[in-house]
Amino acid sequence: MKDRLAAALKASRADYTEIRVERTWSSAVTFRGRRLETATVSEDQGGFVRVLNHGCGWGIASFTSLDALPAMVGRAHELSRAVRLERPIRLAETTPQVADAALDLDGDVRGISLAEKKQLIEAYNGAMLSVSDAVVDTQAIYRDEVSEVWYVNSDGTALTQLRPEVTVSGTAIARRNGTIEKGLESIGLRRGWRSVHGLDERFRVVGQRAVELLDAPRVQGGAYPVILDNELAGVFIHEAFGHLSEADFVYENPQARAMMTLGRRFGKPVLNVGDNGAAKGLRGTLPFDDEGTPTQDTPLIKDGMLVGRLHSRETAAALGERPTGNARAISFRHAPIVRMTNTYIAPGRTGATLADLIKDVKLGVYACGAFGGQTMLENFSFTAAWGHMIRDGQIAELVKDVVLAGNLFQTLDRIDHIAGDFTWNQMGGGCGKGGQFPLPVTEGAPHVRIEEILVGGDV
Amino acid sequence: MIDRLLSAARSRTDGADALWRREERTSIAFESGRLKTAGVTEEAGVNVRVVTGGRMGVAGTTAAAPDVEALVTRARASAELGEDLDLVFPPTSPLPQVPTFFDRAANAALAELIAIGRGLVERLAREGCQVNVATEREVGETAVGNSAGARGGYAATGVGVTAEVIRIAADDVLMIYDQYVGGDLPTEGDLEALVRSIETRLEPALTIVSPPEGALPVVFTPAGLAAVVLPLEQALSGKTVLQGSSPLAGKVGEQVFDARLSITDDPLAANGPASRPLDDECVPSARAALVERGVVRGFVYDLETATRAKSRSTGHGRRGIFGKPQIRYTNLIVGGGPVDVGAQHAAPLLGGGLIADIQDGLIVDDLIGVGQGNVIGGGFSHPVGLAYRVQRGEITGRVKDAAVAGNVYDVLKRIGGFGSDGRWLGSRWSPSVRLDGVSVARR
Repeated sequence: MKDRLAAALKASRADYTEIRVERTWSSAVTFRGRRLETATVSEDQGGFVRVLNHGCGWGIASFTSLDALPAMVGRAHELSRAVRLERPIRLAETTPQVADAALDLDGDVRGISLAEKKQLIEAYNGAMLSVSDAVVDTQAIYRDEVSEVWYVNSDGTALTQLRPEVTVSGTAIARRNGTIEKGLESIGLRRGWRSVHGLDERFRVVGQRAVELLDAPRVQGGAYPVILDNELAGVFIHEAFGHLSEADFVYENPQARAMMTLGRRFGKPVLNVGDNGAAKGLRGTLPFDDEGTPTQDTPLIKDGMLVGRLHSRETAAALGERPTGNARAISFRHAPIVRMTNTYIAPGRTGATLADLIKDVKLGVYACGAFGGQTMLENFSFTAAWGHMIRDGQIAELVKDVVLAGNLFQTLDRIDHIAGDFTWNQMGGGCGKGGQFPLPVTEGAPHVRIEEILVGGDV
Repeated sequence: MIDRLLSAARSRTDGADALWRREERTSIAFESGRLKTAGVTEEAGVNVRVVTGGRMGVAGTTAAAPDVEALVTRARASAELGEDLDLVFPPTSPLPQVPTFFDRAANAALAELIAIGRGLVERLAREGCQVNVATEREVGETAVGNSAGARGGYAATGVGVTAEVIRIAADDVLMIYDQYVGGDLPTEGDLEALVRSIETRLEPALTIVSPPEGALPVVFTPAGLAAVVLPLEQALSGKTVLQGSSPLAGKVGEQVFDARLSITDDPLAANGPASRPLDDECVPSARAALVERGVVRGFVYDLETATRAKSRSTGHGRRGIFGKPQIRYTNLIVGGGPVDVGAQHAAPLLGGGLIADIQDGLIVDDLIGVGQGNVIGGGFSHPVGLAYRVQRGEITGRVKDAAVAGNVYDVLKRIGGFGSDGRWLGSRWSPSVRLDGVSVARR
């Protein structure tokens, strides 16, 4: 394969050419209720070519037939030449990388039978169903893949990467009369078969939570002090801030650049945020991004001040900054765009605990777990899986439908207390942007307190 | 390919069906008003499903020259773990006529796609605004067949044009988006409607006003309606009915909604972006009435869920290259009674003509976080992405920092009216809908 790519690269007439070829082996076993939905093994493969010519735009071709590779290099060149630009696209300089980077497969999933995978996820599904007759429906998914990725570019980079992934997830639906509630668990790892055992209790809790929510009141809408648990704090920083730190949002827009000027104060001095694609063993971790740039730990907010952003080679050149290894594509079907990897809120230096964060809250909400989150630039929404009221410094009754809505600038500035209990939350699913979903990412955070934030719901 | 696969499966299985699909997409993108990218995508693959020993298995590949024997072996291995299922493949039957392939779209040169984009960029350009426009044209071929002798296939074209205007003033970010999706190239009228739709929403958004609070009348635009329609799409799926999680299970024939609400899935709709003569399981397309005048009429099924529910497939099986067929809506038409699904370029009218007698309320065009919550239960609670305040029958400006909440099974019992602005948005057709008593919270 390396030789085929080298030959195609050599034949390209474009000023800059990159080629990525992927071969992905995957299997999936899905249960819905007590019934097996599917058990499948799939093989997917294809290629992606992107070229740039001086005074021209990007020419892109993606394809499933690898025999078409030489022809596709030619087509990408023609497409690039059809796009005339007065202000040329420049790519930041990087050191060419030559490497063979195989991540630890941790029990190669390709060697495990579908029957064994079925047995594993059937047990987790059973753990959710066994909680109560009120659990009327479940979905339990086991999914794995091993992806071989070859990447070459005309700057001299030539990489081979082996990327494993394994995900187990469960949804429990509980129903009583007209009330329907949901519990969710999802574990996604850039590892293999050995890492997804012994999770029965976590799946049982999913079923139990769905049942408990049936009797929980909806949270009363309004503004509260809110403590986010580790998982939700991670989703929060990804959604509320991470997307704005992606340089493709600002690099072509002077007003956006003004809004995201480095050195601007974004929060109180307790707040430290970064994105680390090189962190060991996480789902968003890769040695190189999809432009062949090595990944790194990029500080984004330091002591409350904006100090960095995430780049591709194009956005870095446009802003006169350095590439950060954040150009990622979900597959050969897509071009790399600026994306997060493992995004985190650093633990507070005081080593505070959850109890310290809530002890002086008279009436507030402890928001836990995440059903999801979405940003619309400076506004965001994230949905907790469940919550508790905080009354007189104590965690009180369970509440549901906790949806937090806010404005980025106001909310970041209202983070006034950060605990020391940092954890990475390795969830399945992933991040969506520009039609590319799901991209494997990880989020990490300790417990975080927001002085005041809007909680949606009945008023 | 289909015949080769089915003949490989014949001696080794009790029955089989297969899908082959090839797609070629050409796309161009203007970023900040500049044409920056042109691309092509070519993708082809096959998916086969077998029944053996009363169990079902699937396999698929994107390999250029697939080994059909190996694919059948993989599908059989998948079936070994499967559940008992008395799947009967539909016999051959006459297919309805519906236009899916448009020469003008198929033959459009790259320069034409660029010209469409450039025209929009020029018309949307504003001081202090970033304009992003993308145009995409797809030409696809689908072939399906099964061991009962059914064969079908069609060629289809699809065109998508998206435009967004982003305006950032200090820390205020305003983003207004619209799209054209159709089988054919957009007409001048379609493009004009797209521009006016963005302008109509941009102008009043430049003034920011404080949000109201309380249980208020809220007009959901066709785009804003997504949060209300999503729970219904889940509840009207034969799958959730079968699983026992649909709030509409067992309610066929019951008046559940306001008598003005009708929902139809119509794969034969003229101008429907998702129209096709048959589904991916060889079932001929037919219109499916799901809700008529507030009464639940039925659910959508694919072959598997229909078999298990002892019902008939409504022709809503959709399969990708890798998984098994799943239920998928085609053209979902939401409206008041028998609707006239008009041309794409209905005149954009913010509020749909429904605001004249609103003393205080909202127009909601975009909500943040749709699909994240407990969707199947019907509850929704979202901060507004783009919304306008209505006071004494007039739009007074854009509201920020507000959230709307309710339950669709509650709010759809009292529909305040349907707008005169019905349009396609992707493959959903609807007008604006006014719902009364929606909870609005503010910070």
